[in-house]
This record gives sequence, structure tokens and C-alpha cells, in this order.
Amino acid sequence: MKDTQSNHRRNFLLAAGLGGAGAVAAVATGRKATQARDKQASAKEAAAEGYRVTDHVRKYYKTTEV
Amino acid sequence: MSARAGIAPVALHRTLAPEEAGRASLYALLARLIHAAPDDALLHRIAQSAALDPPGDAALARAWEELVAASSVMDADAAGEEHDALFATLGKAAVSRYAGYYTGASAVDHPRVRIRADLAALGLAPRSDATEPEDHFGGLLEAMRVLVAGGAGRAPATIAEQRRFFEAHVDPAASRFFAALASAQASNYYRKVAALGAAFVALESQSFSMD
Repeated sequence: MKDTQSNHRRNFLLAAGLGGAGAVAAVATGRKATQARDKQASAKEAAAEGYRVTDHVRKYYKTTEV
Repeated sequence: MSARAGIAPVALHRTLAPEEAGRASLYALLARLIHAAPDDALLHRIAQSAALDPPGDAALARAWEELVAASSVMDADAAGEEHDALFATLGKAAVSRYAGYYTGASAVDHPRVRIRADLAALGLAPRSDATEPEDHFGGLLEAMRVLVAGGAGRAPATIAEQRRFFEAHVDPAASRFFAALASAQASNYYRKVAALGAAFVALESQSFSMD
């Protein structure tokens, strides 16, 4: 088996401080927040007059990326 | 991402080892910050976070510490403006978030095609409402999170599977992406994000080679 190797990897990650990075778990959020912000931004942008980079426009620009 | 039907949810209640939970968390956080600017709640939570376990990797510890500090003085509006300036400017974005951009992908043999195939082989499919191409770094890092932690009824992928996906799709472009992000003129808060990403991916790269 490759238990020794796995332990090596595990010890390496723990020594790197990643064992404590679990505390960061509460920090990371899913896409809900993303969507909430995007919606908020779009609403703000829609309310303003004139040209705005909305999500829709942004999506179009992405298609132009090389 | 959604799990393919038929994968037994046997390992659903298995708790992750601390270092695996840490990896999943960092992947999730980086994916989230690349997808969109942090809102006030997220900034607050990062600002409240503890330092990593000492002594730890020096680059990772410093990057995390600096992101925590920066998050305490950042507000969502400024973060949103910076995110837009970096990733959503008119025409060509200041910083591309697409892995293919950094690996010089050709239109014919584009990594998106291989990523799609590899994700499918791992039982992952893009969300049906996904609008981003597969080589978007937010999506790639989110895929890594799911492979590490499992989710949506699937167990974590084996380290060998994680390694294959990482080495094929994340590692070849990640350091150049984070370097571009760190050195972009508009980069301020995201300089810290880039440092964290670069340090973490370097550790991942090293740890996989031990397995």
C-alpha cells in the first residue's frame, strides 16, 4: 500500500498550516452571495440612466476575450 | 456542479480530515472571490478569521494574514469596483480568468473540451444555468472543492483523481493567472487574493507529487 506516501502528504499539508484552514470554512460561501450581489448591481445599474455594464453586457464582452 | 445520479451517497456523513477540510475551504474561498467581489458579510467573516496553524508555510501564512487584514479595511463597494476593473472592463478584461488564455490554447484543441470530458468522467456536470466556459478559474477551483470535499450526494474523489484534474487543468495556468492578477494596475485587495492563491496552489502542486 501507499500509506507511507499518504502520510507524507498529510503531514506536509498539516505542517503547511492547512489543518487550521478548516476554520476558514465558515468564510467560504456558495454562489448565492454571488447571485445576490449581481442582482443588486443590476438593479442599481438599471435604475441609473445611460449606458451601464450590466451582467448581460458583461457576458457579451466575455465572448470577445481572446 | 451536480452529481450524476447513481453515485452511492455512502460517504455523505464521513467527516473530512482537517487538512482536507482546509484545502476545500481555500478552494471554495478562492473560487468565490474570483467569481465575484466579496460582499460586506464575507469581508467581515474573513476579517474575523484566525491565523493559520503555526508555524505553517511562510508564504501561505503571510498571504492569509494580509488578506484578513485587508478584509477588515475593505468595503463591498470598493471591492466591487476593483473586481469590475480587473475582470469586467470594456472589451478585453484587464486580467483574463480563463485558463486557456495562459496556456496559449488554440481554438481547435481548446482545454475547455478536455475539461468538460474530465468533469463528466468524474461525475460532475456544469450547472445547467452556467454561463461561464469550463476553463474559468472560478469554475476550475470550485470543481477542485467538490473533488476534495464531495458534495451534492457524491463522495470526495480519490487523491489520484484530484491530482489528475489539478495537474491537467489547474496547475498549468494557475501561477501565471495569479501573477497577472497580482501585477494588474487595478489590483489592490485582489493582490492579497492572488498571493493566497499562488501560495496555496504551490503547496497543492508539491503535496500531490508526494502521493
